[in-house]
Amino acid sequence: MNPLSLDQPWGRGSAAVHKHHFAGDTPLPDSSWLPRGLGRSYGDVCVNDGGTLLHTFRQDRLIAFDTTTGVIECEAGASLADIAEVALRNGWFLPVTPGTRFVTVGGAIANDVHGKNHQHAGTFGRYVRSLTLRRSDSVSELKPGDALFSATVAGMGLTGLIERVRLQLIRVPGAGIVQQTKLFGRADALASVDEFLALEAASGDWPYTVGWIDTMHHRLRGVFFRGNHCRGDLAWHKPVPTTLALPIDMPGWLLRPWSAKAFNGAYFRAQSMNTAMQSELPLWQFFYPLDAVSAWNRAYGKRGFVQYQFVVPKAAARESVTQILTHLRTSNVASYLGVIKSFGDIRSPGLMSFPMPGVTVTVDIAAPAERELRALDRADAMVADVGGRVYPAKDSRMSSVMFKRFFPQWRELEALRDCNVSSSFWRRVTSDGSGK
Amino acid sequence: MNIVIVGATSAVAQSAIRIWAAGQHSFVLYGRNASELEKIAADARVRGAIEVTVHAGDIASVTYAQTAVANLSTTHIALIAHGSLTLSDRADTDTDYMASEINVNFTSAAAWAQLLANHMATHGGGSVAVISSVAGDRGRYSNHAYGAAKAGLSAYCSGLRARMWRRGVHVLTVKPGFIDTPMMAHVTKKGVLWATPEAIAQGIIRGIERKRNVVYLPKFWALILLAVKHVPESIFKRLKF
Ligand SMILES: Cc1cc2nc3c(=O)[nH]c(=O)nc-3n(C[C@H](O)[C@H](O)[C@H](O)COP(=O)(O)OP(=O)(O)OC[C@H]3O[C@@H](n4cnc5c(N)ncnc54)[C@H](O)[C@@H]3O)c2cc1C
Repeated sequence: MNPLSLDQPWGRGSAAVHKHHFAGDTPLPDSSWLPRGLGRSYGDVCVNDGGTLLHTFRQDRLIAFDTTTGVIECEAGASLADIAEVALRNGWFLPVTPGTRFVTVGGAIANDVHGKNHQHAGTFGRYVRSLTLRRSDSVSELKPGDALFSATVAGMGLTGLIERVRLQLIRVPGAGIVQQTKLFGRADALASVDEFLALEAASGDWPYTVGWIDTMHHRLRGVFFRGNHCRGDLAWHKPVPTTLALPIDMPGWLLRPWSAKAFNGAYFRAQSMNTAMQSELPLWQFFYPLDAVSAWNRAYGKRGFVQYQFVVPKAAARESVTQILTHLRTSNVASYLGVIKSFGDIRSPGLMSFPMPGVTVTVDIAAPAERELRALDRADAMVADVGGRVYPAKDSRMSSVMFKRFFPQWRELEALRDCNVSSSFWRRVTSDGSGK
Repeated sequence: MNIVIVGATSAVAQSAIRIWAAGQHSFVLYGRNASELEKIAADARVRGAIEVTVHAGDIASVTYAQTAVANLSTTHIALIAHGSLTLSDRADTDTDYMASEINVNFTSAAAWAQLLANHMATHGGGSVAVISSVAGDRGRYSNHAYGAAKAGLSAYCSGLRARMWRRGVHVLTVKPGFIDTPMMAHVTKKGVLWATPEAIAQGIIRGIERKRNVVYLPKFWALILLAVKHVPESIFKRLKF
């Protein structure tokens, strides 16, 4: 499949200029290049302003699938969408999936993505049995345990080009998900977070848990979802094709705080209809509700949007999540659909992996202006103070100082970076004299 | 079903193979590049294809096509997808180049179509889909040599269809407009006229299923070409497109 844009990240709003090369076509460029998947990262980890992007989306072949062990081998540009469909037909599924299936295996490794089952399954990188990495001076097959493997998982493309991957899938009974939903948040913000955490803690048998929160509401009300695989209907094996597309950019006036409030309110009311309801649905709808509309990022208008995702350690979680969200609300930062979820303590092989045992929250902010950006800077500091971090895959704005507090191990990645590879993100967060 | 693809490494052919593979068919793939063909075959197998055989060779050669088809078993669908985007400026002065391009784009494609159609006629019928081009509808300044070969191919297919339909063989002429194969440099300039290989492949498969005669892909090209065909030659010769 093709990316929606060769230059822009998913959050748009970037004015970067690139040269475009295609992986496999030619030798590696000899200066400043960056591997690129389907460009589903929100910010500049997939941007290399003034340099070359090495596109992998045509290197998308599946190579072999052992349907007894569930190990699939593919080129790194293969999309999770393709793998999921093929796997499902044989009784297997992705061990970990992000909220969109239109990402490449290479991209999923390079950001070490997580899903709604982090507590049970950990990150994507844990399921990589081996990968082939092409660097400016070598090609090698890497396995878990190799230093370069650890640096490549969550390495944001900086260690070189992943060419081939062997990935372990998981067994599933079918294409269905049994889902339960429950409303939470009737008292105040802190009680809401507590309520959410209690719901999650009581869901030990449910591999998938997530909460949607109305960050514009002073009580932080929300909807809790949990799910598990089930047989489902045979007709669910194929996803409904993405035909709907947003052909135009949403006008800016629709993106004000009051419209976010109205939207969230409407969503909450719609969900409260099915309080504590159980239903069976196609797993596509459960994992990828937004994939039904292609190019939905245009809903945020020309100036784009940022997605802000942070994690705070378990011990500090209930107070700091409440404080940070209250801070964002009182600073009048408009957000549609906030998402809250706990990360478990399964360790990732990735040196720079984002998840840590604790609680993560994600909010979307349309066309952020100076005021919103300052509020986010303040939130960064609150996250850093309790030992948390902000997710690079979604970032386009964190300061170099903050980045280095979130990821003190960044120098280890820098030491293993392919000297010809660079990204706008990496230059931004490592430059300021104290780097290098 | 047994499906034969000529020019299997082309972007449109690869997309079609993927769609068909999920439906559990068997394939015979012809192309020039052996290692690419092997990758495409492996991909098709993982995606559900029952059996995939590959043959690498000079598919632009008529003798190659003859031997290949002579060795085929029953075939239900054939897609002839090879071709070469002729450089018009070079074809203006380099006669050998022009002739060899016309051989690839017309002679060899027509030979495969003839051979496969006859093969199907004696083995219970089937469908032959031939990728021609909107460029064949009228010779233009910017692609006269390519357009001429595709014009010949479209004409051949319409005649072949007339001769073959009574023998149980359906012939589909496919006329794509601009295909956005991202290998090309113009990829960043893509506008509404550019369609992805996936979309073209879907159109072809639909055309085969519905036994259509000629399909323009995407459809709006039929309208554009209708207009193009009606520009008087005295004006047309002044246009540089
Ligand atoms: C709607 C939506 C929901 C999302 N939900 C989640 C979620 O739940 N959890 C989560 O963790 N993330 C989530 N994401 C983020 C997304 O999963 C990641 O940004 C992912 O890395 C994007 O993959 P991509 O193929 O688009 O890669 P790109 O965005 O193009 O690139 C991402 C990074 O991978 C590197 N890279 C890509 N291919 C290769 C390769 N072959 N070799 C080496 N490096 C490579 C790039 O250099 C870059 O640093 C979501 C994104 C969207 C749009």
